[in-house]
Amino acid sequence: MTTAALFLLLFGCMLLGMPIAIALGFSSIVTILLFSDDSLASIALKLFEALSAHYTLLAIPFFILSSQFLSTGGVAKRLIRFAVGAVGHIKGGLAMASVLACMLFAAVSGSSPATVAAIGTIVIAGMVKSGYPKAFASGVITNAGTLGILIPPSIVMLVYSAATEVSAAKMFMAGFIPGLMMGGLLMVAIYIVARIKRLPAQPWPGFREVGAAAFSASGGILLIVIVLGSIYGGVASPTEAAAVSAVYAFLVAVVGYRDMGPLKETPWRRAGERIGALLLRHTWQVPLAIAQSVVHPEVRKTVLDASKVSIMLLFIIANAMLFAHVLTTERIPHQIAETIVSHGLEPWMFLIVMNLLLLAAGNFMEPSAILLIMAPILFPIATQLGIDPIHLGIIMVVNMEIGMLTPPVGLNLFVTAGITGESIGWVIKAVLPWMLLLLLFLMLITYIPSISLFLPDYLDRLQGYG
Amino acid sequence: DEPTVIKFSHVVAENTPKGLMAQRFQELVAEKTDAEIEVEVYPNSQLFGDDKVLEAMLLGDVQMAAPALSKFSRYTDVLALYDLPFLFEDLDAVDRFQQSEEGQAMLNAVADKGLIGLGYLHNGMKQLSASKPLRVPEDAEGLKFRIMSSDVLEAQFEVLNAAPLKKPFSEVFTLLQTKAIDGQENTWSNIYSKKFFEVQPYITESNHGLLDYMVVTSKEFWSRLTDEQRTEVKAALDEALAYGNQIARDKAIEDKEKIAESGRTEIIELTPEQRAQWVEAMRPVWRQFEDDIGAERIEAAYRSNDD
Amino acid sequence: MLRRLIDQAEESVISLLLVAMTLLVFYEVILRFGFGTGLSWGQEATLHLSAWFVLFGASYGIKVGAHIGVDAFVRLLPPLGQRLISALAILLSLVYCGLFLYGSWVYLAKMHLIGIELEDIPIPAWLAHGILLVGFALLSLRLLGLLYRVARGSATGFQKAGEAEQSLRLADELKRDEVGSNAERAS
Ligand code: NA
Ligand code: NA
Repeated sequence: MTTAALFLLLFGCMLLGMPIAIALGFSSIVTILLFSDDSLASIALKLFEALSAHYTLLAIPFFILSSQFLSTGGVAKRLIRFAVGAVGHIKGGLAMASVLACMLFAAVSGSSPATVAAIGTIVIAGMVKSGYPKAFASGVITNAGTLGILIPPSIVMLVYSAATEVSAAKMFMAGFIPGLMMGGLLMVAIYIVARIKRLPAQPWPGFREVGAAAFSASGGILLIVIVLGSIYGGVASPTEAAAVSAVYAFLVAVVGYRDMGPLKETPWRRAGERIGALLLRHTWQVPLAIAQSVVHPEVRKTVLDASKVSIMLLFIIANAMLFAHVLTTERIPHQIAETIVSHGLEPWMFLIVMNLLLLAAGNFMEPSAILLIMAPILFPIATQLGIDPIHLGIIMVVNMEIGMLTPPVGLNLFVTAGITGESIGWVIKAVLPWMLLLLLFLMLITYIPSISLFLPDYLDRLQGYG
Repeated sequence: DEPTVIKFSHVVAENTPKGLMAQRFQELVAEKTDAEIEVEVYPNSQLFGDDKVLEAMLLGDVQMAAPALSKFSRYTDVLALYDLPFLFEDLDAVDRFQQSEEGQAMLNAVADKGLIGLGYLHNGMKQLSASKPLRVPEDAEGLKFRIMSSDVLEAQFEVLNAAPLKKPFSEVFTLLQTKAIDGQENTWSNIYSKKFFEVQPYITESNHGLLDYMVVTSKEFWSRLTDEQRTEVKAALDEALAYGNQIARDKAIEDKEKIAESGRTEIIELTPEQRAQWVEAMRPVWRQFEDDIGAERIEAAYRSNDD
Repeated sequence: MLRRLIDQAEESVISLLLVAMTLLVFYEVILRFGFGTGLSWGQEATLHLSAWFVLFGASYGIKVGAHIGVDAFVRLLPPLGQRLISALAILLSLVYCGLFLYGSWVYLAKMHLIGIELEDIPIPAWLAHGILLVGFALLSLRLLGLLYRVARGSATGFQKAGEAEQSLRLADELKRDEVGSNAERAS
């Protein structure tokens, strides 16, 4: 009865187009009023607790901020230049380079649509110019863009950690190998198609260009070194690593790359400038620029954009915690878990059911919201069936990746349609063959836990016994 | 008649001393009051975390909880007594003090905020773990220790010239594992259940402090019960607490043995001279909080070691 | 004029809260890693800043249409139907705010009565948690404004500008500074 009311209210409100955060909070608060004797005051207290008692959640706004500073056209171009230099000379190289660029961009960004937009805008047009079919180019990028949430840092993983209290640091580590693997899988598929369809290769640009491109891209790529390095090197927790990466991203964007901010028109080295003069100029210019950033419109807009996304997500999370609170006090997940276990459902069957459920949900909802609603239900069941929580998390993330490619709510589809100027239907058709590859990948991830668990386990052993 | 419901909210698993105590309490209350009063136990922070549960109790949404004594710092200065380092030599001394007139009176320290303490529950005596061996106080110099939020615990590490860092319990393992912090203080059962011993090569058996809980209810709820009900609930609780305390004692011995057997860490026993040095080094903390806690109280607690 | 000033102040407060949180945590890392020490009030302050950030910013999210929702079904309806459904959704959202406003009031009054402070920072709890009232009051105001616009027909709903739309702005920016320059260089 309570369960029915809770879910009917939630879905009813969502159908009305109510913001997901409010729909979650409203259905929870009304269910509590109807079926329990908790006071409204304690619900307000609970909401405040959800907002102020989870230190790990703070990693979300910090990573969004860092991602916002580095999700710029300038960074995307540098990463693409490096990727094209590195693998462009292979058959189908430009497409493989695009996948590589998506993987690199995924390592600075926590979001999939941003990855598609940043890389896709440049490389889809470039591939078409070089003789690739447009549908091929669009399909590859829309798929590769989903890596944004699998390769750390990942907002979706942080949301999973918040919902289940699984270590965010371990989730990040666990996403690393699957991310590389999926990128590799896409590249292999591209190579095979390129052989069959005789797709073009780019000329080898020479080591000098590749080196220069690598140096130019390093400012962005170093972010992932900082994030994973500081978590595993013992400097910081995920939250702290996120704050460090936000400060780093600001410095790279404003001082290093000068894509935005007060130094935008100021070159690192003026024509004919001597090193001494250059150093002297920078000793006052850089601190001044950092100070000026406070009032600089571009910098302020970047911070404000990050704020908007963060507020939206954290407000959903806080309300979802109320929702989870109702679920747990009504012991709903436990009841489902007990039913399932008593019917002798095997873990592999449960995983199939879970995948189908998540794929279906992925058609209609945004990943963070799905995780927040489903994780509290699926997590206790999986735990009872002996499925590793980290492995479960990676399965969920890969499902969310696929959800970004399925209509009607598929964020990556919208973005690709937007940048190519084609219809959603056209994009879906272009994406489909590559999405089958992703489904195959989901099967691998689901039934071979060690793909996800190898790296976190290995690092545990390294540090725990060391 | 609808039974009166006592929602008992705590933050640990069901198989811990606190969790088992709560379950025992639930059974005993049902027995003694003929199901007139019903206890509902909510483990694992399902209802509220330790920081917010007392506020929820004051709002009338939770009737009982058992937060760590340090968690009462927002409500009274007096209970900081139990955080003082090297005040009690062992749990027997703690028991003697808690059952004394003075100890029982301290249950009322939060009365003016609308809360009533009903009894104490042990987790156990705290030990020091670290990434290097701690034998004398100087060994702790410059190290970073995780503490719970408490002024006394902060002062305790400051007098050692170590850095106390407040970090959530849930992050301690990762921070220790990655060596972002060097050490922490905890009871044998927490060090075992949270696997801290796997990532801390040395544990000094210091027994330097106490980690205990206070079972509380709200004045408002307590006064709503009849005299008879209060007597029965209190009797049930006392019995459950005795049961829980025994489990805590057994568990400390058991978990210490398991940690020793694991071979993952070295347990350092202090010689009487070394221990005296630690006591000497940390004693200034007492004076620092004398005014807040009350000198006679500290004196009375210290005397409980004599019997 | 006044309106722009208020807008700017609101945006500045929100940005400032995010930046303050970030820098505070960053500073703690520097302190610990570089100097082996920490801030005893750092964690509590950061967590409260984040609560203020979200509760103060939630209404701004309504204003700029940042709160995502599922509008696939509403969009199937004709404009009038969309407006009617949206009006209902806004009214229910107002109920949500009303319930929280009442609950927050009772909660804060109790904290005020007992007179407890935060754990590590010596400020009264009711003051630190007071953002609950402020936040939900602002959210109600913004919802009323939206309801008015939906009634008049100048808006059809919550105007969601989701992650996809935001990413597309990035794409526009890239297109503007000439498409495909990299591909050309490579070919
Ligand atoms: Na990422
Ligand atoms: Na979808």
